Amino acid sequence: MTGCLPGRLRPVVAAGLIAIACLLPARADARDQLAIGVTQFPSTLNPLIDAMLAKSYILAMAHRPVSMFDHDWNVTCRMCTELATFENGRAVATDAVDADGTPTGRRGVISRVTLRDDVFWGDGVPVTTRDVVFTWEVGRHPDTGVPDRQSFLDITRIEVHDEKTFSVVSSKLDYLYQASFGLLLPAHLEEAAFAEPANYRHRTLYQTDPTNPGLYNGPYRITAVSPGASVVLERNAHWKGQSPAFDRIELRTIEKTAALEAHLLSGAIDYIPGEMGLTLDQALSFEQRHGDRFDVVYKPGLIYEHIDLMLDNPILADLRVRRALLHAIDREAVNARLFEGKQPVAHTMVNPLDWIHTDDVRTYPHDPDRARALLDAAGWTTIRNGIRHDANGTRLALEFMTTAGNRVRELVQQVLQSYWREVGVEVTIRNEPARVLFGQTISNRAFSALAMFAWLSAPESLPRTTLHSNSIPAAGNNWSGQNYTGFRNADMDRLIDEIELELDRTRRAGLWKRVQQIYAEQLPVLPLYFRSDAYIIPRWLKGIRPTGHLAPTTNWIEEWRVE
Amino acid sequence: MTGTGQAWRRLRAYPSAVASLVLLAGLGLLVAAAPLLEAMLALDAARVDLFNRLAPPGPVHWLGTDELGRDLLLRLLHGGRVSLLVGLSAALCTAVIGAVLGLVSGFVGGRVDDLIMRCADALISLPLLPLLIVLAAVDPAKLGLPESVGNSANFSLYRIIAIIAIVGWPGVARLVRGTTLSLREREFVQVARALGLGPARIMFRHILPNAASPLLVATTLAVGNVILFESVLSFLGLGIHPPVPSWGNMLNGAQELMHQAPLLAVWPGLLIFVTVIGFNLLGDGLQAALDPRAAARSP
Amino acid sequence: MLRFLLARLGQSAVVLFAMSFATYVLLGLMPGDPIDLMFAADPDITSDDIARLKALHGLDQPLIDRYLAWLANALAGEFGYSRLLNEPVFEVLAPRLANSLLLMAVSLAIAIAIAVPAGIHAALRPGSWSDQAINLCCFAGVSIPPFWFALLLILLFAVVLGLLPAGGMGHEGDGVLERLRYMVLPVLTLSAAAVAGYTRHVRSAMIEVMREEYIRTARAKGVAERHVVRRHALRNALIPVVTIAALDVGGLFSGALITETMFGWLGMGKTIYDAVMGNDYNLALVGLLLATLVTLLANILADIAYAWLDPRITYRRGAHG
Repeated sequence: MTGCLPGRLRPVVAAGLIAIACLLPARADARDQLAIGVTQFPSTLNPLIDAMLAKSYILAMAHRPVSMFDHDWNVTCRMCTELATFENGRAVATDAVDADGTPTGRRGVISRVTLRDDVFWGDGVPVTTRDVVFTWEVGRHPDTGVPDRQSFLDITRIEVHDEKTFSVVSSKLDYLYQASFGLLLPAHLEEAAFAEPANYRHRTLYQTDPTNPGLYNGPYRITAVSPGASVVLERNAHWKGQSPAFDRIELRTIEKTAALEAHLLSGAIDYIPGEMGLTLDQALSFEQRHGDRFDVVYKPGLIYEHIDLMLDNPILADLRVRRALLHAIDREAVNARLFEGKQPVAHTMVNPLDWIHTDDVRTYPHDPDRARALLDAAGWTTIRNGIRHDANGTRLALEFMTTAGNRVRELVQQVLQSYWREVGVEVTIRNEPARVLFGQTISNRAFSALAMFAWLSAPESLPRTTLHSNSIPAAGNNWSGQNYTGFRNADMDRLIDEIELELDRTRRAGLWKRVQQIYAEQLPVLPLYFRSDAYIIPRWLKGIRPTGHLAPTTNWIEEWRVE
Repeated sequence: MTGTGQAWRRLRAYPSAVASLVLLAGLGLLVAAAPLLEAMLALDAARVDLFNRLAPPGPVHWLGTDELGRDLLLRLLHGGRVSLLVGLSAALCTAVIGAVLGLVSGFVGGRVDDLIMRCADALISLPLLPLLIVLAAVDPAKLGLPESVGNSANFSLYRIIAIIAIVGWPGVARLVRGTTLSLREREFVQVARALGLGPARIMFRHILPNAASPLLVATTLAVGNVILFESVLSFLGLGIHPPVPSWGNMLNGAQELMHQAPLLAVWPGLLIFVTVIGFNLLGDGLQAALDPRAAARSP
Repeated sequence: MLRFLLARLGQSAVVLFAMSFATYVLLGLMPGDPIDLMFAADPDITSDDIARLKALHGLDQPLIDRYLAWLANALAGEFGYSRLLNEPVFEVLAPRLANSLLLMAVSLAIAIAIAVPAGIHAALRPGSWSDQAINLCCFAGVSIPPFWFALLLILLFAVVLGLLPAGGMGHEGDGVLERLRYMVLPVLTLSAAAVAGYTRHVRSAMIEVMREEYIRTARAKGVAERHVVRRHALRNALIPVVTIAALDVGGLFSGALITETMFGWLGMGKTIYDAVMGNDYNLALVGLLLATLVTLLANILADIAYAWLDPRITYRRGAHG
């Protein structure tokens, strides 16, 4: 608006500009501090409430689980002395009983776990079995609204042997029996808040007094929270493990990725993590422009981008059409052109990094002629105005939905649309914001044909909720389950049940192979690719090791070093 | 109202308004001719070309290509069709609603007048954009609209026109009410009454034509405002959804690419700017040309 | 005057109630309810659990009953919690309202500081070259899409020149100067449209006033032109401007919403937007009502200021401000 100004005001403006110039950044690069820029702010810091990436990222610096998946995708102890296995005698299989003591007819397991002697809450109180029992009670209470309550309900009883040793009596013996317990709550602080379970999410000290040092047991504790903007962490005086490199870590939430990048370049933040930072194409472009100052590390992970097909749609109920759709698109080209080859094409939902992965499945290379032949065979033979019709004159038209506002998905969507047009399939795009798409359209199976989104999963995660025919959401079961496509396959159902109870790794591998083969044969879902995270790391920061699974890198923050 | 010829002669005294008119007409033609241009250049605005992403301007793509290799110029023109369509139709809806309510309010008077004007006051005083955002986020299915309407590709278009009309009428209504009030006691209206004509006939046949000039000015100015609102809402992800291009949603995509392709963020905004300023200057010129009293105040 | 004030307050209360009802219903028409969202990512939740939790939080009641329950709580000062931040809504909103008001006040002050001299300058030379230039600038100011203006500012000052932060509000341990740097671009964005609007008002009010009898009299008496402008004209020309500035608080909120969203400024506008996008009904509802309340109060203030500044006005019935 400066052009608007009459002559007398010009000096004022000039003075203003000089004043701005004087305010230029003068931040020294203090290497005992680290500023991390992320795109999300956590809705709460309570470990049990609201599963959210931003929370687990921050909390992993201040809070450690009893056991978790490590970099090699094996379960390891973080706060326990050793894992409970059948081999070392800490785990014993039994016949399961329910809460009243009546046998359920299934096999259960009792795992004896000992907490390490050197783990303390930030106020010096040792972490004990009391915390374990308290956490279990909060988790299983029907009114607290804890996600993943089922995992707490599977535990029928916790036997306390002493301050440090307890046995978990689980009603379910499955292949993941070792991963028995995650984050703990400090009973000595949180018991008061739990007096009103329905309001626990609001009364918890993580919400009302988040800087209380006693809430944290990791290398850092949270010392300042400004909602929506930033979280500050400082060293936890009672941490006995390896000492981390930084005195102070600040996490700043900057929602717009363009602003995030500008902040990084101006030095206001040091590092953008891959867990919730730049999109892949932005990172690729960033690397081209600033690769001299930053290391950009790409890590494909467990985020599986795919298109759910509505199998109730008569067009998609035909397997030939499903296969044709996949043959028609060039996923390799999309990967090469949009992502410079950094996002590996998926053939099934199982990531190649996962040990259960097999290459021995049917694949669908880009082959438009094959796609056309399959569509012809399916009866879509008449082509009018470039669109296929069947003998009754029905158009081969499909509606394609994804999350509005997710730029990369919307790009991919438009690319796929043009591939399908080339083989005579009319695809119309109708996108909805994530809150509508997931809150309603997909979960109520209200999409008519194609829905593109991603699954996040843990290593070797059983597709019970996504592929078992019991998990098809319907009004009758209040829309629970995530088998949105409506996939029904007796073999798949049987395999899922068998895998869950199979403790032998080799035999399990065989079952997993069949699961992947059926998936690739039947194509209830069009697999696209596994998403890669891009970590934008300053040259001087070393020791960040992405896991490829859901555990954020901050779980090993004490290994981060300045060089 | 004096004849259109006289109004045109007066309007010519305002070079900025005439320039705007020419500019807007040119833009309108260009936008309308987008399919023609597409055919001439042998390009397809919707065609994705992954081998030609973010290309610089050149002989084939005059303004370069966007992040999917689509021709930017053609997409801008197609976006312009949407933005202008929304602007014109929402402004028309606003004018119709406002004119009817203003006429009724001024002519009937009394309680009705009080009620309508109180509503208008209340609407004008509200923080408009936050309200529009709430309106735009409502789920059509829960409104009881049939799925075929709620799911149609053009639904976001109708919705934005509707919500802008719902909140935009008070300005026009006040204006028309003022004119109606001043005309209500005039001779020709009295005569019409004496002849036993119905109130509706008097309002629409006798009073409304006399309110035509302020109505025209208000509608012209409203077009600019509506285009601004549409672009803001589309930019915020609550207006027109891609792949239907509109200037607002093109900017939404561009803001994340600011470091890679800054020009993508420049063109759509420039077009919004030019269009809106065009309508505003034209409206201002019309006002001066049609209302000699106001003319003295405006340069 | 007192009766008039009471009547205005009464009207505002009615508007506020109507707004709360309309907004509550509209938000109820949005997709996805809070309990569904709480468990959107939980595969093992059973339908019984969901039904029980909905009953626990009253979500199984008809919309109208829920509204009445909400209203009863609200009148008792209990506004509930934000879903996105798990905090009482007022604890979320209070600092954000302060942030918004800070941004708006600074922008308003700057806008007036520029608009008044620019408007007077133009009014004193109607039709001149500088008047036309100012006029054109003003048209540009009201026509420029604010989010695009913000984008251009970010592009120029943050991306190309790297002089100013692209967003945010500063952080722990920053000094006043550092924090000011974060304000420059948002204030520029928000004041641009306001400058343009106010300049036009000042100009036309000034032209009107300069035609008045007493100005001519003053001139005829040989009072210096400077003095005429400063002493007589300006005061009277400022009356409509002050009124319009106060009346325009609603518009300023709209502008603030865009500015705050663009620059990650944690104010009311951004909070309302995020709440709507994140299905945080309660926060969106109370935020919208709070913004409305502030706007309505500002309107009443405008009336008072008008009466105070212009002794010719007495309030009886029918004055709309």
